This record gives sequence, structure tokens and C-alpha cells, in this order.
Amino acid sequence: MKNYDTLLKDLTPRKFGKRGTIWTVFLLLIIIAGLIAYIDQVIKGQVVTNMRDYALWGIYISNFVFFVATSFVGSVTVAILRLTNNSWRTPLVRIAEIITLAAIVMAGVTIMIDMGRPDRLLNLFIHARLQSPITWDVIIVPTSIALSFLLLYFPLLPDLAILKKHFKKTKPTLSKWYGKLALNWEGSKAQKAIQEKSIKIIAIMIIPVGIMLQTIDAWLFSTTYRIGWDSTNMGAYFISGAFLAGVGALITVVYIIRKVRRLENYITDYHFDKMGKFLGLAALTYLYFNINEYLLPIFTAPVEEDIHLNALVSGEYAGLFWFSQIVGLLLPLLIVLFNKGRKPGPMFIAGIMVVIGSWWKRYIIVTPTLLHPFLPIEGVPESWHHYFPSLHEWLITAATLAMALLMITLFVRYLPVIPIQRTADERALLKTDKNSES
Amino acid sequence: MNFISKSQIKLRFVLLASISVFLLSTLVQSLYAQDTEKNSVRLKANYFKIMDSEVYFNIAASSRIDRQNVDVANIDIIITNEIEDEEIELGKVTTNMKGEAKFVLKSLSAMRPDSTGLYTISMSFKGNDAFKRASKSISFRDATIKANLITKDSVNYISATLLDTAKDSILSDQLLNVQVQRLFRNLRIGKEFNSTDENGTILVPIEEGIPGVDGNLTLEVVLNDSDDYGTVKALVKAPLGTPIVDESTFDQRKMWSPRNKTPLFLLIFPNLIIFGMWAFIIYLFINLFRIAKT
Amino acid sequence: MEDNNKNSRRKFLDKGLKLGLVTAIGGLGLSKIATKLNAKNDEHSGEKMELMTTDGKIVQVDSSEVMEVTHSEDYDTKYNVREGFPNRKFVMVIDLAKCKNALKCVSVCNKHHYVTGENAWIKVHKMQESKDTAPYWMPRTCMHCDKPACVTVCPVDATFKRRDGLVLIDNERCIGCRFCMAACPYSIRVFNWSEPGQEITLNMDHDTSMEKPMHASPDYAGLPSVKGTVDKCDFCPHAIKDNILPHCVTACPNGVFYFGDKYEDTVTNGEETLRLKKLLKDKAGYRLLEELGTAPSVYYLPPVDRLVDFEDGMENYTEFQSVEKPGEKTE
Repeated sequence: MKNYDTLLKDLTPRKFGKRGTIWTVFLLLIIIAGLIAYIDQVIKGQVVTNMRDYALWGIYISNFVFFVATSFVGSVTVAILRLTNNSWRTPLVRIAEIITLAAIVMAGVTIMIDMGRPDRLLNLFIHARLQSPITWDVIIVPTSIALSFLLLYFPLLPDLAILKKHFKKTKPTLSKWYGKLALNWEGSKAQKAIQEKSIKIIAIMIIPVGIMLQTIDAWLFSTTYRIGWDSTNMGAYFISGAFLAGVGALITVVYIIRKVRRLENYITDYHFDKMGKFLGLAALTYLYFNINEYLLPIFTAPVEEDIHLNALVSGEYAGLFWFSQIVGLLLPLLIVLFNKGRKPGPMFIAGIMVVIGSWWKRYIIVTPTLLHPFLPIEGVPESWHHYFPSLHEWLITAATLAMALLMITLFVRYLPVIPIQRTADERALLKTDKNSES
Repeated sequence: MNFISKSQIKLRFVLLASISVFLLSTLVQSLYAQDTEKNSVRLKANYFKIMDSEVYFNIAASSRIDRQNVDVANIDIIITNEIEDEEIELGKVTTNMKGEAKFVLKSLSAMRPDSTGLYTISMSFKGNDAFKRASKSISFRDATIKANLITKDSVNYISATLLDTAKDSILSDQLLNVQVQRLFRNLRIGKEFNSTDENGTILVPIEEGIPGVDGNLTLEVVLNDSDDYGTVKALVKAPLGTPIVDESTFDQRKMWSPRNKTPLFLLIFPNLIIFGMWAFIIYLFINLFRIAKT
Repeated sequence: MEDNNKNSRRKFLDKGLKLGLVTAIGGLGLSKIATKLNAKNDEHSGEKMELMTTDGKIVQVDSSEVMEVTHSEDYDTKYNVREGFPNRKFVMVIDLAKCKNALKCVSVCNKHHYVTGENAWIKVHKMQESKDTAPYWMPRTCMHCDKPACVTVCPVDATFKRRDGLVLIDNERCIGCRFCMAACPYSIRVFNWSEPGQEITLNMDHDTSMEKPMHASPDYAGLPSVKGTVDKCDFCPHAIKDNILPHCVTACPNGVFYFGDKYEDTVTNGEETLRLKKLLKDKAGYRLLEELGTAPSVYYLPPVDRLVDFEDGMENYTEFQSVEKPGEKTE
């Protein structure tokens, strides 16, 4: 029982200290600034961005792609690791589920920000054309949101019941809320049966749904004729990119939560070692795809592809391109190849590098292609030949990232970041084993 | 004593007279000035005749204001038929915003020619506060074109004869155009100008492979802007064209069709997948309710 | 007594003269007032209005000569805007041998579609495929492709392909996602990033030679343009409807644009009317980016036997501007 009490004390959500409050207020300020900028955009039109007729998609879209990619972490860690019986995933799955839900919800919000006429949103449902990749996106994103929510909720039920009991005396209203959300969970055989069957279904479903989500996202680009986008490779490329971005985000968030909540006993060096190897696998796959995408055209490239490649490798976008490749892929890969590199500290650095590198990598995917059209850019102001986001775009994008982080923060504040019931079950099993052994 | 001396009266008389003269001249000047402020209008008229159909006149009114030609819009033009000393009013038209008007007669029989067969028509504008009165008269004779299709040695020809209607005499050495009716501009067949021979006839071969709706073509033989006869046009319906084949994909199920013509594989598979996914999701939500119930 | 008589006569004369003077002045005054009242409805009320003539010049015209016109209310309901004219397929042929970069097509199109952005709908490029081949001027309109990539990707059916070949935009339905702009390989679409600011240009237009629809219709793009939606060349259905050639075709001083119905196998540039198949065969017509498979409706005639020197076009070349804003000097 003593062990169980310690477990509860460690894992139940706590009120924020000074650090937590400052962090939340900081996020709220960014969100408010972004909202003001967005209202200005709705009033004045998207002229407040630096997008113009040639750079017609900018960081709103690359941000959207980033969110979609990050939301793949649910499929990867929760489902794939479960189906391959990797039991070390247990302390990490809740965080992975939280990241997935936050990312996919923010993906839906971000894409609406990019619409020129957000007031006509319903047209996407009333007049939808199945031939358009955007319609497929409109279908798959809500499906993913629903599924990610269920992925988080079903395993959460036992923990909500535990929290209701735990807070009954100290925080009665909070306890009542936990109770409502726990859906009368008692741990009975019948309930467990339904829960387990549901989780199994979700775990199986979320892999094809996640793959479909990433593929449709890729097809938004590869269904056009444009250089750099018109690639049969795009679907697989995006899936591997999402794999990498998702694991990177997971490592980063896990490290921070572990430090803030002092969960060193639950998320150990062993877990970081495993995640490091996982990240290595993702990075190697992504490296393979990048070689196919960027190295191969050196051999035979039509004029336009040649121009595009040169702009990326040694031209206007060289800085960002090499940054996203080195910082986002090669350095993290290097770090995880070593045993010492797979310790928590270096892993955190690798994770952050992957996240930042992925964000800029998606900028490299979206913008340079648009500025290399087939026919010359003429008769338009000189500024239209280039693109760098405006203040409005930065504020709004920062606000979406802040909203995602705020969602994660609120989850951490009110929900147990490590599944309590499951951990208890696993440790109890271990204890009985130990008892039987000794 | 109220005395007004003779000299005073004389003075006043002179004063009054000079004032009156001054006023009168100003009055006259202002009235006269109103007349010189009006602009003059130039009327142009062209006569058109379509065989076995109507006769019409294209009238254009323009004025030179500040050394620029300006269309005179919204003025009434009265059209009269002048024969010998009579003037018969035929009708009235009003110019549109471009200063143009079209006056149509069902046939030339509404007009009477003089003894030589010359028709004279005059268009007049009564004038308004802005513009002076104007008029223009044109004279023309009635010509007839008889056109029909001939096939000789399995070659299709269009043959047309030009006659002066009143004298019933052949007109030779006149230039006729032959063209097929097309959407914006008509397409010429044969040489640019076909001269009528001593029988007043032209013979123009119709080339093969001119497309038309259901193979029907409408050919025109035109005497264009002749000094004596105006413009005369004869229309011939010729089923000698190649039928048009509609190649549009509008009725087909294509990737670029509207949503009511979605390709079938896109209707079937995505909907099956969506239905499958959401069936499971709804089942899962039902499971949540079941957990809550037990 | 004599004096009295004399006096009374004088008095009578005096009074008579005074009365006559008053009458004369009064009558004059009245007539002047009367003419002034009449003149108020006519010319020379003193107010001048600035208007644009049909060839783009700004003219000062007396405001009394400008008349209010009510546009025709009826717009043929049998004609389905999304289906178009039956039995027609519109094509355009652009003769590159004649183009001198006069840019009249661009300015007339901008004027008639009230284009106020910074991106004209017709683009004239200075083309040179490689440094050894000769440069030439190439005007581009929307290709109205038979396999339009833009229509395929539109999620809400806001852009559509008609039976008569035209690809039009319904800017009441467009949601501004710009996927069509990303999909178009010819980069011909423009976006209204802000309020189009057409109030000035719309008010200056008194050209009623063509019937204009009373409300926004895909048949007349740019009337009005809507913030946050896409626009592009529409092949002027509002003019075609009245048997009038599109504005760029008639405006070109060199007869570069030919327009017509492919089913009738006839195209015209306003002066010359030619058989399309023969024209393409004789002058080796081709289409842009044919290898992408978009099946465009615009054919180009190669710049062989050029009528004008390429260099002559450089004086009009504006690399960074294609739309003159209202208020800028038009000369």
C-alpha cells in the first residue's frame, strides 16, 4: 500500500507553482496577441501577410503541415509500439496521446486561418467536391480528431476514477468533475472488457487513419504540377517525416514534464535510451528519403528542377535548407548513435533540434516551389519575387503554437501524465513476481 | 411749384432712350448668344437591304465639341420619305448612348420612289437646347440579288445574279462578296471580290469541310456599300457543311466535373472508407455510454 | 393756366417715361431669369465631371451631359451560367510574330474588368528559352484548359468548366484557399488580398455598349471583385453573348489575338477572319506546356517572319508593374 500511495502522490496532477503560472500567463499573452493579429487579418484581408500571388501559401500552410506531422506520434508510439509489444512505452503513452490530440486540433484551427473567406467555411461541407484533395483533408482531420480523443479518453477512465477518490476530501468540486468524466468507472469485469476491446480497435484503426492523414497532407502538394511538389515519393516522404517530427516532439515534451514533475523514477534513462534508438530509426528512414529527394536530381534534372535544387542547396534558401537538414536531421542522428548520446540531457537537445528543424523543413517544402513557377514572374512588384513572413503571420503562428502548448499544459495540470492504473498494475505484477521469487 | 423744365424732360428722354437701347442690345445679345452656344450635329445614314426580309437604316449622330467627336445620345430623329414634292413621315427613332439608331422597315414597299425608281429618304433632328437642328438625306435605288446553290460535276457552287429591281435590268461589273455566317465575323468564301459578268452573275465554288451545326450553313452574298444601291444582302441556307461534333466533357464524369458528376471510383471507395471509419468511431462512443451505464 | 397745362403734360411724360423704364427693366429681368431657369437643366451649369473615354483618356465633361441609365433587368434565364453557350468551343490564337509589347491588351482588360490590384490578368512576358535563341514577346491569357487542374482541386465547386470551354469563377462561393492558384501551372490566377478598391473605377465607367449583369455573375469577372477570392481572365462571356469580341482582341493594334469558335473552325482578330485548322497548319501553331497534358484552348503561332523588332517592345517593358492605379496619369 505504501508503494501505491507514493505512486499516487507522484503521479496525481498538482497545482501550478510559480513557474507554471508564469508559463501559462506567457502562453496566454502570446495567444491574445495572435488573436488581435487575426482579427486585423479578417478585417483588412490577407494583405497583412506577406503572401502574394506567387508565394500564395506561406507559413500558415507550413505550420499546418508541421502540426499534422507531429500528430503522427500517437499512431507511432501508442499503436505501433503496442502492436509490437514494446512494454517500455507505458509511461510515455499518455504524453504521446496528449501531444497527438493537441496537434491535430491545432492543425484544424491553423488551416482555417489560411482561408481567404473564413465566413464561407460551411461551403466546404455543403458544396464539397470529392475530387479535391482539400475535401479529403476536411474528412480525415475531424476523423483523426475524434480518434485521437478516443485514444486519450478510453485509457484515461480508470485514472479519472482514481482521481475522483483522491480529491474527494481536499477538492470536492474538482472531484465531482473527475467523477463525471470517469463515466462511473468501477473497474468491473464488464467495464474492463469493453474498455480493452475499444482500446484494441482504436490502436488498430489509428495506424491506417494516421497514414491516411499524412498521405492526404502530402497529396495536397503532389497533386499539382509544380517542381519540387510533383513527386510520386511525397506520401512516403511525409510519413517518414512525420515519424521523425512526432518522436522528436515526444522526447522534448517528455523531458520537460519529467523535470518539472520530478518523474525520474518513472521515466528512466532506459526509456530515453529506447526513445533514442527509436529516433535513430526515424532519422535514418528520413535521411534515406531526403537523399532520394535532393541528391538524385543531380544526375538528370530538367531545367526547372535544376534551378529549384540550386536555389535550395546554394541559392536563396541555402541557409534554411542546410539548417533544417543538419540541425533537424543529421546532428540528432549523430547524437543518438552513441550510448552517451541517449542519456536524457543530450536526448532533450536532440529532440528540440528535431522539432525546430522540422518546422523549418516544412517551410522549405512550401515556399521555394511556389517562387519557381514554370513561366517567368513579371509585371508584379519586386517584393513579390520573395517571401518572408510578416509580423501578423509570426504573431498568429506563434499563437497557434502557444495554443498547442497551452492545451498540453492544461492536460498536465489536470490529468495524470503517466497512466496511474496501468503503472500500478504493472508494478503490482512485478511485486508479486518478486514475492513469488523470493 | 412742381416745375420740370423742358431741358430736364429732354434729358430724361435721352437717358431713357439710351438705357433702352443698351438694355435692348443686351437682350438681343443674350438671345443671340444662346443660339451660338448650341453645337451642330452631323447625321450619317446607311441603307441596308436583306433579300426577302427587312430593310433598315443605320443612323449615327455625332457632334464636334472642343475639337473632339462626341456621340450625340438620346435625340429624336424623324425619318421621312421624300417623293417629288411630298414628304411622308415613316417613323421616329431615338439615338442610344453611342449616338446610334436603327430604323427598320418591313419592306421597301412602305416607301415610294420617284419616276426614275430613286428612293429618297431624309432624317431630321428638330434641335434641342443643346444642339442645333440637323438633317441628312440619302438616295438609293432598289437592287435585287437572286442567289441559289448549284452542283456541277459534284462541286457545289453558289450562283448569284444582281438586278436593278425597278428597271429589271442586269447589273454587271459590280463587286459582290460571298461569305458564310460565323460567330463574330463572317468567313469569306472564294475571292475577295467577285465581279458580276455580262449576265450580272457570279459563280463561286463552296469549299468542302466548312463545319456547321447539323451540317447547316448560312451563306451570304453581299453587295457592299454601293453608291447607288446601298448594301444588299442575300441569305442562302446550304446544308453543305460538315456536322459539328461536340467534344466537350461536360456531361462526363471527370476529375474536373462538378460534384454531381464525380468519377465513380471516387464516389465508391472514399465513401466506403469514410463510412467504415465512422461506423467504428460511433461504436466506440457507444461503448463509452455502455461503460457509463454499467 | 398755360403753365399748369405744360406742367401736367411734363408730369405725364415724366411719369410715362418712368413707367416705361421700369417695365423695360422688369421685362428684361424676367426674361433673363426665365432663360436661366431653362439653362439649369441644360448645358453650362458650370459643374464638370471627370470621365474616362473608351480609349482610356480622362475627359472633363459637363455634368449635365451625363445621363443616368438604367441597365436592362432581364438576363436571359434560359442561359445557364454554369453550362454556357451550346454548340460552341472557344479558342484563342496568339500570333507571336506580331506582338510588339504595346500592352494595349493589358490596359483594356484592366479597365473593363476594373482590375485594381497589382497583378494584371493578361501577362506579357519577355521570353527567351535559351541564350542562343531569339527573344520575343509573349502575351498570356487564361488557357481555359480542357483538362483544368484548377477545377479538379477546387473543394467547393467555385471554379468550373463549361460546355463551351470556358473556365469561370463564382466568387460568391470561393473560400479563398488558393489551391487553384497552386495547381495552375501557368500561374495565371490572381488573388484579392485586400478590398479591391474598385469604387473609383466602377464609378468612372459609363460605357453601356454591352449589357452588364445587375448582380455579380461568373460571366463578368471583376464586376465586382471580392476580397479574399480568386480572379482571372474569363474570355469575356458578357461580350461574346452580344457577338462582340473580347476586349483584348479588339484593343490590340497589331492584330495579335485571334478569337473564335473551334467548332466553326473560324477565328478572327477583328480584321482578318481565317480558318483555324488552316492557320495552325500553315503557321505551325502549338500550345504552352503541352507536355503537362492540360489541353489548353489557347494556341500560339511561333514568332517567324517577325513584323516588328523585339527591341521596339522594350520601351513599354515594366518588369515590376502591370496595373495602373486609378488616379495615376494614363498618358
